[in-house]
Amino acid sequence: MTALLRRPAALLGLLLVATHLVVAISAPWIAPFAPTSLLDAPLEPPNATYWLGTDDLGRDAFSRLLWGGRVAMLVAFAAGAVAVLGGALLGLFAAHRRGSFDDVLMRLVEMKLAVPTILFVAIFVTGFGQSVPVLIVAVGIIQMMGVVRTTRAAGIVLMEQGYVRAAQLNGESGATIILRELLPNVADLMAVEFALRASSALLLVSALSFLGLGISPPTPDWGLMVEDGMALLESEPALVLAPALCIATLVLGINLAAEGLSDALGLDAARGGGG
Amino acid sequence: MISLVLRRGALSLVTLFLLASFIFFATEVLPGDALDVSLSADEIAMMPPEVLARRRAELGLDRPILERYTSFLGGLLRFDLGRTIITRAPVADIVAMPLRNSVALAGLTLLLALPVALAIAMAAAQAKGRLLDNAVSGAAIIGYSIPEFVTGLLLIAVFAVWWPLFPATITASTDDPLSVLLAAAPLAVATTIIGSIAYLGRILRVGLIEVMAADFVERLHLSGIPRWRILWLHALPAAMIPGLSAAALYAASLVSGVVVVELVFAYPGIGAELVRAVTRREVHVVQAIALAAAVCVVLFNLAADLGIVALDPRTRRS
Amino acid sequence: MIITRRGLAGLALTPLAAAAQTATPRRGGTIIVAQCSANRFVASAQTARHPYFTVDLTTRIPYNALVWVDREMRLQPELATAWAPASADQSVWDITLRPGVRFHDGTPLRAEDVVASYELHRQRNFASGQIQKIEAMADGRVRFTLDAGNSEFPYVLAEYQNMIMPAAPVETIGNTGIGTGPFRFASTDPNRIAVYERNPAYWREGFPYLDRIELHNREGQQETALAGLRSGQFDVVMTIDPRSVRGLQRDADLVVDSGGGGHHYVIQLPKHPGSPFEDKRVRQALALGVDREAIVRLVYGEGNGWVGNDSHLVAADPNFLALPRIPRAEAVARARALLAAAGHPNGINLGTLYWSPQSPEVGRYFQVLQETAREAGLTMALEQRPADGYVQFRTGDNDFSKGSFHRFAMTAVGPRNPGISLFRMRDAFVESGHWRGPQHDAYMALYAQAMREGDAQARSAMFSQMQRILHEEVPALLPAGTMTFSVRRRHVHGFEFHPQIWSVRFDEVWRG
Repeated sequence: MTALLRRPAALLGLLLVATHLVVAISAPWIAPFAPTSLLDAPLEPPNATYWLGTDDLGRDAFSRLLWGGRVAMLVAFAAGAVAVLGGALLGLFAAHRRGSFDDVLMRLVEMKLAVPTILFVAIFVTGFGQSVPVLIVAVGIIQMMGVVRTTRAAGIVLMEQGYVRAAQLNGESGATIILRELLPNVADLMAVEFALRASSALLLVSALSFLGLGISPPTPDWGLMVEDGMALLESEPALVLAPALCIATLVLGINLAAEGLSDALGLDAARGGGG
Repeated sequence: MISLVLRRGALSLVTLFLLASFIFFATEVLPGDALDVSLSADEIAMMPPEVLARRRAELGLDRPILERYTSFLGGLLRFDLGRTIITRAPVADIVAMPLRNSVALAGLTLLLALPVALAIAMAAAQAKGRLLDNAVSGAAIIGYSIPEFVTGLLLIAVFAVWWPLFPATITASTDDPLSVLLAAAPLAVATTIIGSIAYLGRILRVGLIEVMAADFVERLHLSGIPRWRILWLHALPAAMIPGLSAAALYAASLVSGVVVVELVFAYPGIGAELVRAVTRREVHVVQAIALAAAVCVVLFNLAADLGIVALDPRTRRS
Repeated sequence: MIITRRGLAGLALTPLAAAAQTATPRRGGTIIVAQCSANRFVASAQTARHPYFTVDLTTRIPYNALVWVDREMRLQPELATAWAPASADQSVWDITLRPGVRFHDGTPLRAEDVVASYELHRQRNFASGQIQKIEAMADGRVRFTLDAGNSEFPYVLAEYQNMIMPAAPVETIGNTGIGTGPFRFASTDPNRIAVYERNPAYWREGFPYLDRIELHNREGQQETALAGLRSGQFDVVMTIDPRSVRGLQRDADLVVDSGGGGHHYVIQLPKHPGSPFEDKRVRQALALGVDREAIVRLVYGEGNGWVGNDSHLVAADPNFLALPRIPRAEAVARARALLAAAGHPNGINLGTLYWSPQSPEVGRYFQVLQETAREAGLTMALEQRPADGYVQFRTGDNDFSKGSFHRFAMTAVGPRNPGISLFRMRDAFVESGHWRGPQHDAYMALYAQAMREGDAQARSAMFSQMQRILHEEVPALLPAGTMTFSVRRRHVHGFEFHPQIWSVRFDEVWRG
């Protein structure tokens, strides 16, 4: 942790993420207005009452901005957790079992890489509806495949280690080896993966919202606010620029923190970033 | 080497079979079919249910799912992608040109982004930890922290509307020569390149730094070889190996994955065609595009493997 | 910019009367047009010129129908010069064809071409299924025999797919792209581009003015289309979101045209046992509690939309009977009183209203609806569903006897004649929420009577009576609709937009 705090870039990243988190959690108390209420004052320019003005339905843009990261962050962090937990278990199990399970799993991972992301989400959303749990699962599975690859690779290396060999000779069960010997040793990797997956999930969710496949109105959401504000870009640029800036700073913050974390842990952050 | 290629080929066929089946069943279990989505609410309001049932039978949409699955697989074995449901047009005709355009966009992006990413990565690796490295790394992180649709729309606003240097939207035809099409698409290419440089630069930088810290580099250094020479002649090929795999996967994902860029600039590629086919529930077109994207992944991967064999002295010898 | 209102008929007799413009129309030149509305087909190289697969806004560039509906939703002659019922019950219609019309390949238009075209339409077009027989008569007229009386049958002849093509078997008719329209196909890029060139032998003498039209499909991509317009790549962008109108009007180089009343939305109110909408008072409270004027004002902008009357008719229709205007405070009070009488003194939760993004404004539309209904004690959740598979989702098993699993959900309604629009509130159809009872039967009896009534005025009286039944019963909610809009650069003249976006014409467009 101290190693992390000694890096100014990582510190800045943590600060950005923390700020966004605090704002998102406290939005119901600090937002001056309810994010969906129509205030009968459409398209007010920024002023003392409406700090960022109002949109064309007469909703307070500043309040919406404070609320706008909640669902996207929930989806991104939950999807990141799904991806890292599911991916690590699958990857380590494959590393432990090898053989045909491993072969089939790696084919599935390859297959996911071959299915266009948009098609994957569209199938999910059409089949199960456009709700937050569905989005978490869909985005989580997309992000999971990359984690499977990195943790499997790490697991294969660990399987060669003496203490794992010893545990195997002692007749420990597969589950014990995976949970007790392998999992703790990839915890660092998982922490970095979580940050990377969350940031890439956040970008994906805002792109999906932009395409109309993600978070749906009336939920206040940055991606939707950008899409919604585009028609008014010339007259009310703040309605687009403010949420776009929020997405970018949050993703930037997570990435800086991930980079710092992986540097501090001596891991290679960029390698996991694909997929 | 030949056995490696054969083994990879066989495994790839398994992947493609799994993928084809997955796509088939995933698109089949969804509610609605091509007939429903080709009708507006106004039109459905006027059509008696028996007329809809008759049309569905005419279009073969009422056949049992297993029958459709086997005829789909049979078609694939004969390299026949089938026909569209409503217009009975060969799917291959619909998919071919957009696929060419997407491969061209991905190829051009890689061609332009890779050298820049490499140069940036080398500059940063040589100056690891110093101001230049920090600036480059920071710029790269910012580069891929901005959503593509924001970059694209900003480029249009600045370079097409305020300062009309380039066309805002692509008016070239799907089957125009590639030179015409790509000449009309500088802003679309720029949007994909910005993201690509950031991504590739980051991967290559890490690879280079890792290699420069390796034992053999240290030995070369001790034997008096200058640092730039080590970087160019020894570290670069070694660092390219992981970079190449990542770049290949990335390029393959560009073929079908730039939907947002294609929509924002009206680039006639396979991603936009895919979105259209999904919303029109033209299952055969969706299947063909997903398969084409899968073949791209497989081919690019294979190419990267061969490239690694060529670059890596250890595998070349064995 | 004020757009004069006139029909095609007058112009056919007095060509070159582009009255709205003080400048004289100029011959020649090209315009480049983009359009943003959704197109529901995937065309291929073989079908890209077929009237069913070209973008529906542009079918009247290469083709003509027998009849055209003007901006006031009145019938105007196109390839037919006259139409008349040949039976008292309005089930047989005789059509007189315009003489001297030639197809793009030089062959003259014959009754056989109309017969062959309608052999396709009666199998495929949604509104033409009632045609039992089409015959070419000895005197050159065409006779249509229907399965039942339809006093508004000429509207079917104007529908957007029902174009007249040279005779050919049903399987291949229309694929050549040959029509009788003002322009002929020069080249196509399926789903993307169509290029048309002037038809020098067009039957409206002196028209068209332009040499060439290039059409680019930007469905669902309005920002891209408008960027193209601002940067000078496009001359006209059709079907734009009313929200962008204000910004575009500020640009001195651009002119925004309104086509008048466009689409609106119907909200299904399921009336199965246990549904809150079983109680008429709850439906009436909803009709009063939703602030229709706020929807128009906030979602579309003052003057860019219109208040609906809970029937499928659009305000632009001459038969439209507006709801009485009630001050907002009184409407809310009456809605609350109705809810209290129905046993919900503290308001009622209506469950989830499902919506699908069928147009760009739908999300905003239903947020305003939700928020204003809340003021009257009617709360609901909103949930978005993807457009794909939405029909099945909203309709359910569509069988009331099985318990009817249709949903509290919306869908879009296009501007069409009363014969088509008012039929949508029938019990058998999901949009009425399977409305039943004596009032429904009275409504449908009036409908059947109107469809056999030859006199337009008598018919209109019946349509009014039907709308009064809907105002009282509220089987479904149709709160408000939009105008249609297009935007052009100042050098484009003679362009008029249309409430039915598929009825727009390019005959009289010229470039200054």
